[in-house]
Amino acid sequence: MFGRLLWRLLRGNRGRLAVALVAMASGAAVISALFNMQFDVQRKLTQEFRTLGANVVIAPAKSFGDGATLDRNLLNTVEMVAGADVAKAPYLYIVARTDANRPVVLAGTWLNAAAALRPYWKIDGEHAPFSAESTSCLVGANAARQFGLKIGNELRLHYGVNEARLTVAGIITAGGAEDDQVVASLPVVQDLASLRGRISLIELRVPGTAHEIRAVADRLQAASGDVRVEPIRQIADAEGALLGRVRLLIVSMAALIFVLTALSVLATMTALAMERRVDVGLMKALGGSIGRIVALFLAEVSVLGVAGGVVGYLVGALLTIWIGRRVFGAAISPRLEVLPLIVALMVGVALAGALPLRLLGRVKPAVILRGE
Amino acid sequence: MFARLVGESFVRNPRRILLAAAALAVGMAVTTAALSVALDVGDRLAREFRSLGANLLVTPQSDSLPLQIGGVDYRPVDEGAYLNEADLGKLRTIFWRHNILGFTPFLDVPERIAIGTDGVDASVIGTWYEHDVSVPDGSSFRTGAKLTHPWWKIQGRWFAEGSRECVLGEGLAARLSAGGGPIIGTTIQLPPKDEPKETGFLRPLIPLVVTGIVSTGGAEDNAILVPLPLTQELAGRPGKFRSLFVSALTKPEDAFSERDPNSMTPAEYDRWYCSPYISSIGTQIEQVLPGSNARAIRRVAETEGRVLTRVSGLLWLVTIAALVAAALAVAATSAATVIERRSEVGLMKALGATNLMVGGIFLAEQFVLAITGGAIGFLFGSLLARVLGTSVFGTPASLRLVLLPIVLGLSAAVVLLGSVIPLRRASRFEPAPILRGE
Repeated sequence: MFGRLLWRLLRGNRGRLAVALVAMASGAAVISALFNMQFDVQRKLTQEFRTLGANVVIAPAKSFGDGATLDRNLLNTVEMVAGADVAKAPYLYIVARTDANRPVVLAGTWLNAAAALRPYWKIDGEHAPFSAESTSCLVGANAARQFGLKIGNELRLHYGVNEARLTVAGIITAGGAEDDQVVASLPVVQDLASLRGRISLIELRVPGTAHEIRAVADRLQAASGDVRVEPIRQIADAEGALLGRVRLLIVSMAALIFVLTALSVLATMTALAMERRVDVGLMKALGGSIGRIVALFLAEVSVLGVAGGVVGYLVGALLTIWIGRRVFGAAISPRLEVLPLIVALMVGVALAGALPLRLLGRVKPAVILRGE
Repeated sequence: MFARLVGESFVRNPRRILLAAAALAVGMAVTTAALSVALDVGDRLAREFRSLGANLLVTPQSDSLPLQIGGVDYRPVDEGAYLNEADLGKLRTIFWRHNILGFTPFLDVPERIAIGTDGVDASVIGTWYEHDVSVPDGSSFRTGAKLTHPWWKIQGRWFAEGSRECVLGEGLAARLSAGGGPIIGTTIQLPPKDEPKETGFLRPLIPLVVTGIVSTGGAEDNAILVPLPLTQELAGRPGKFRSLFVSALTKPEDAFSERDPNSMTPAEYDRWYCSPYISSIGTQIEQVLPGSNARAIRRVAETEGRVLTRVSGLLWLVTIAALVAAALAVAATSAATVIERRSEVGLMKALGATNLMVGGIFLAEQFVLAITGGAIGFLFGSLLARVLGTSVFGTPASLRLVLLPIVLGLSAAVVLLGSVIPLRRASRFEPAPILRGE
């Protein structure tokens, strides 16, 4: 009986309910898309921040001026503590001299890893992967200009009595110290400086939030002994602050839309309750209890809320995927845990919309049935 | 008659009208707030990105190759070119002067310092923390490392301008105070009397009071930071500096800005020069600082451009989605009010009103609602945007009157959308069954 009545009511008010459903589903769609993004946007944006390069540096406890270096084995420790998949590059810095006896900073590193870890390098010339023992080198734009070097030229560098013959494979523009340096592969520089197995520092890109990065840095510090493990604060701080603001913005937007949806559902529901007066009068006259009428109405709005939530979630999932593609070039996967949340929200809104029910309690059957 | 009919319907059922107007007002408030925030967000986030510090590096053009390792320049002080500190005020006279948020000159001197009887090699970095620069137009501009290096954290306090005070890098402080007590408040000597520099002359001992310990996560952690005039004195280069970090608000690079300005037509060059691209701001800085070379710090500039493009794209799409949701919700409300009044339609028709007349009355009523609701919504939304701006970015979003006509137009369009379908259906009603209550 209850079910049949409910079904009748729903069918009977198709137009009106469809209108409420549209308001509810569109609100739910946007809210669920925002929630989905809330989960994923941090990860996506963190990836964008990769362009900032390394966020942790491991260096000797003393400054460079003292000529301190690290043992190459430290790399194994780093791999053990931070995981093998953390992007890292060792550097050995020396001041070499050109044929014309002009000093230049020569950096030895893993060329491929270094270029990947400093994606902001603009390299003119060869990008192809370099072999580990390659005698190719990358020359900073400023250094290339001062020495008159072009791609393909040979560059001879001296350190003490040793000499290295390098081929210029590319020119780096970075807007930093690299512009004044020559970057070559690590073994070549180690041989030139007679510092086999030594490095000046290691750069790491640790994924995660500022807090996680700090934790990894602390673990590295504990495992590596007498070295300085420094998270590059410039990056961690800015990343954290920005992500916080973007997330706050998304949450505020969701709250606004929620209020709007609630209000427009309330308006529709009030209209519905007013119209229901005749039905209520009739039911009351036939001896139906107020409780029963209220239960029917509540059932009706709950069905509406669930339907609005589910439809909204589905549309919101499509919206999420579309926005992910448009903005980040990769789909943001919709979260299943958003579904119950959104359905609960919408049922809540619909029930709030049932507030005008109080009006029904005051209905006097006789007056209504007389048609006033 | 027409006006009276419309007026009547407002008076007769104030609650219904109130609800519809509230839905409209809230919808339009959301629209206004979302649009204001979205219009502002690029600017706001760009400003936020300045927490990454400087994005332009200015160095002397004819400089010898800097021997910089780990942020410390190992060139002797008598080598290389310098820039004039006196020219710095001109940075606030360039076309995009208001986009120059801060700049800090640096002059490093490698020195041997003494504390008690010990000596340590460390570089002495002369800079500004908070310094008033006088601008040629008569005003003054406060800038320094506080703005260009906001992530520097101080324990204690910064040195005062023009004083004999210094701030120690965290690493250096740890080495110096090993075994000793607190280092803040002690005096260090610079450089020691009995160790003349290779330049040959004996310089007087300079005592410096340590006022704080700075942690930067960079090379400065192993250095001493002092007011700029002090290193100029040590280097024998009064009024000079070697590198300048500039923090500028810029527009993300795009295909146009990456072209070589020399290959542009005059019209294109003007457009490029008058856009706040980092490359055009760099060029303008080179023009006011003779013999300088301004380069984008690509690490910061690239990231900023990428993230800004992404975030503002994201917010625009979210805004559009919010607008659509608001429009649908408002349209639904206005549809509900029209459906509710079917019997009135029936009555009017029974009394001989044409469909056109009925539609006119209802639409007029809805439009009055739309304009009132839209205007209230605009006011409320501007307020909301202020609150949002303050809570998210710390400064209120600016009031944009441009949005008023847009919001009113939108609200009219939305009620039209909401009323047209039920009105069309109402026009097909036969008056008799409706009046009978069927």
